[in-house]
Amino acid sequence: MRPIALTIAAGLALLTTSALAQTPDLAQSGLVGPLENPTIITDTAQWPKTFHEAPALAALVKAGTLPPVEQRIPQEPMVLKPLRQIGQYGGVWRRGFLGPGDSENGNRLRAADKLLFWDATGTQIAPNVAKGYEISADGKRTTLFLRKGMKWSDGAPFTADDFMFWFDDVYHNKELVPSPSPELSTNGKPGRMIKIDETTIVFEFDDPNFLFPSQLAGDTQVGGGQSRLQSDGRELGLYTPAHYLKQFLPKYASAEVLAKQAKAAGYDNWVQYYKVQSDWRLNKELPTLSAWRMTQPITGQIWVMERNPYFWAVDTAGNQLPYLDKAQLTLAENPEVINLRAIAGEYDYMERFIDLSKLPVFLENQERGHYKVHLDPGFNGGDSEIKFNTAYRLDAEIQKWLGNVDFRRALSLAIDREQLNQAFFLGLGVPSTPIPADIIPQSPGKEWRLRWASTDIAKANAMLDAIGLSKKDGEGYRLRTDNGERLRLQIDVAQTLSPTWPQQAEMIIQQWRGIGIAADMKLLERSLFYTRVRNDQNQLIIFSNNGSESLFLYTIPVLPIDPQSSLNGAAYAQWYTTNGAAGIKPTDPLLLKGYELLDSASGLPEAERTKVAQEIWKIATDQVWSIGLVGLSPAYMGTRVVNDRLENVPARTCVSQHCRTPWSGHPEQWFYK
Amino acid sequence: MLNYLARRLVLALITCAAISVLTFVIIRLPPGDFVDAYIANLASNGSMVSAEQAVAMRHEYGLDRPVVVQYALWMGRVVRGDFGVSMMWRRPVTEVIGDRLWLTMAISVSALFLTWTIALPIGIYSAVRQYSIGDYIATLLGFMGLAIPNFLLALILMYAGFRYLGLSVGGLFSSDYAQEAWSLAKFWDLMKHIPLPACVLALAGTAQLIRIMRANLLDELRKPYVVSARAKGLSELHVVLKYPVRAALNPFASSIAYLFPYLVSGSIIVSLVLGLPTVGPLLLQALVAQDMFLAGTIVLLLGIMTVIGTLISDLLLMWIEPRIRLRGRA
Repeated sequence: MRPIALTIAAGLALLTTSALAQTPDLAQSGLVGPLENPTIITDTAQWPKTFHEAPALAALVKAGTLPPVEQRIPQEPMVLKPLRQIGQYGGVWRRGFLGPGDSENGNRLRAADKLLFWDATGTQIAPNVAKGYEISADGKRTTLFLRKGMKWSDGAPFTADDFMFWFDDVYHNKELVPSPSPELSTNGKPGRMIKIDETTIVFEFDDPNFLFPSQLAGDTQVGGGQSRLQSDGRELGLYTPAHYLKQFLPKYASAEVLAKQAKAAGYDNWVQYYKVQSDWRLNKELPTLSAWRMTQPITGQIWVMERNPYFWAVDTAGNQLPYLDKAQLTLAENPEVINLRAIAGEYDYMERFIDLSKLPVFLENQERGHYKVHLDPGFNGGDSEIKFNTAYRLDAEIQKWLGNVDFRRALSLAIDREQLNQAFFLGLGVPSTPIPADIIPQSPGKEWRLRWASTDIAKANAMLDAIGLSKKDGEGYRLRTDNGERLRLQIDVAQTLSPTWPQQAEMIIQQWRGIGIAADMKLLERSLFYTRVRNDQNQLIIFSNNGSESLFLYTIPVLPIDPQSSLNGAAYAQWYTTNGAAGIKPTDPLLLKGYELLDSASGLPEAERTKVAQEIWKIATDQVWSIGLVGLSPAYMGTRVVNDRLENVPARTCVSQHCRTPWSGHPEQWFYK
Repeated sequence: MLNYLARRLVLALITCAAISVLTFVIIRLPPGDFVDAYIANLASNGSMVSAEQAVAMRHEYGLDRPVVVQYALWMGRVVRGDFGVSMMWRRPVTEVIGDRLWLTMAISVSALFLTWTIALPIGIYSAVRQYSIGDYIATLLGFMGLAIPNFLLALILMYAGFRYLGLSVGGLFSSDYAQEAWSLAKFWDLMKHIPLPACVLALAGTAQLIRIMRANLLDELRKPYVVSARAKGLSELHVVLKYPVRAALNPFASSIAYLFPYLVSGSIIVSLVLGLPTVGPLLLQALVAQDMFLAGTIVLLLGIMTVIGTLISDLLLMWIEPRIRLRGRA
């Protein structure tokens, strides 16, 4: 696998170098626009009085196979003022995907089924499936208001019963959901879901939980939406089509019949069978709330979604959305093919797998391919960062140094970030600590952007000498203090996650020679990488902290809180999640302080919570828990290729885990001129 | 003869059983299992999977049972013709492979024919006109074909095709046709996409064939029967094609054993580079995701095809090569 990947990369480098003559500066490139979004009209006086629909649906209504549009949309629809103009119906949104492992590609196109969503900056909660929410003054009760008359894509009503069914029969079924969602409890005490009436649901917790509305809007186990959370074998996400899925549960159907059906379909038991039936990527019949319902499953050459006739949003002229008839994803065997097809103009809106380093080729072919390139810089400070795993225990000497703050600071000071920025980000990123962009309220402030992150070799050398690493061998490398051999670190890199991480690691290793630190890069297949991570066999890792710009929705890049995927101390994460019953207690008092701050956050209203986030960022930056390299760049889904004819597309959109890029650009109101 | 055939068939069955064990062992060699790969995929997309859920999933897929039991269950199904449901694709394995098998074979067969139509005449020419300018040029070109890694050739041709000819890149169909039912238009669309991969695959194989053909034929041309044929006054073309060429073709019959698995998986790297929906990339994905049923079935299929190919080539050789005689045991 390795030689193939490398040679493909080398081959494409050959194709790109010719066009690499000039590297545009981000600000002057003209490729970055203002953040913008369509406006959600909440003033009912401005709502349209009559409604219109796509011609194909009008024909079905005429034929009598579909109720008229007024009866299909809720009495309280979401009314969108399109970004630039009222659109027209028709057209296909062409994209690429990489096969059955690429669920997220489609999940994100279905993000309309999230209960709450975000504004253009990804910082303010916006209505979505739920028209609004309310949180009690003590933070213990969050009320969610649904849209009256809203329907599933098969016409069945969508009500509070769909929530209660999920909560009682799915979430509490240990075979379907083996472990409870952390988001549905406070301080280890489970919360409750209560139906008030058909359109009102209340979540009640024993302790204040001011964070809950943000979690409902975030990419969490409660807010991800049906498509995201009820695919790939999971059954989370707060609501599910009760009227349809009841038939696959032993509680409502005969266990024998279910077993027989499962067997006939090739599955060993009803659990596997249920998980396939409730997975939108596989089951065409599954009702949805998204703008497009699936008509060709992910398992073929083309993955297709077509207009949901019961979609609950309209434009200000009363046209039922979406404008586009279809979203169609064509299978590509690897990301390079996706890039080549995008260059050839075979996609209408593609940001996933688009490689920033090929930007010159994309720009060169804009006219031929009839597309425009947009750059959407991320809000996270570390598009690549080096993480320290202080829970590494295989070598006491290495462990000692990884746990030494001056050692970490010295390694950080020895890095020339601008060189990395030029070589791998075309100069479009920002040399930075891991902290989020300045416009993000949780950011600790400009003065932290380069804390311990300027290049100062002399100071780094002096710091290493001072902590006892002053002895060097003939080649100038520093020696271990236990056996006098050369001190060697190892940087693990997960394959296939980012094409240039291996080369970035190699460059850093070169730069560290300047302070006498030897290191090796180890490229690992992805599942082996995570297996090692779970056992704390990793010392250093190069990774991204994408998502951490919303710290409490995605804390993993900063604090070790998930024993399965935290890269900076799986044993600590286990200690944290089990309240000390298992795992290892961190010895670093500041890490314990970080946990304490994190625990306090959910009980605090937003303004105070933001201050806590700043506090955590300050500790993380000052302690150099990870070395930020280059951030705020368009490297992660921020290089976007858009068909010339596609209208109402924002000049810049939020690229972030919780913004569900590209849904942040509201595809339901895009149309072809 | 029948006795020999029966013995070979029994041996082939035993070999297949051994292959199935080996397949299972090989697939389980890398650390971790499907659930590990699944967690890694979700984690890289920003989702958490709890330890309890991982345990539940292992149970769901039967990965928590002893290896021997897993093997027995798998084989029990396979002998009944049920290859299981692919963990990754969530579809019966036979369907997943079936989609791609015919396309794979179409590419491999066209590449094979192209190889032969290029290599055999050149090989014959090079032998008959040994050390002529033509021989040197053909040899040079052949070796260049052998020396250029075919993925690189694929990349260059792909870029050139896109840049200068405006061809759509990657895959075997334009997106308009990929999901359509078979029609004349779709077939034409496929025909437009096949030459590139077929050429890339064919060029790599020609040099070897040219050299084999040339060497074999040179051996034959020096034999007395050729001299006597010439002495009888037969035309040069007749002399060469009628006897020595036929004799020189013998080694090709014995290479059929390798041809069979090649038909299914000969194009892995080129398929990856060109983004072809063939069996090769499927096998790679299945191995990476540790989808045991899918990877197992493909590897098993390759093994069995080799066994069948060997059997056929042995029988063919026996038939065309009079020097091979079976010695019955007394």
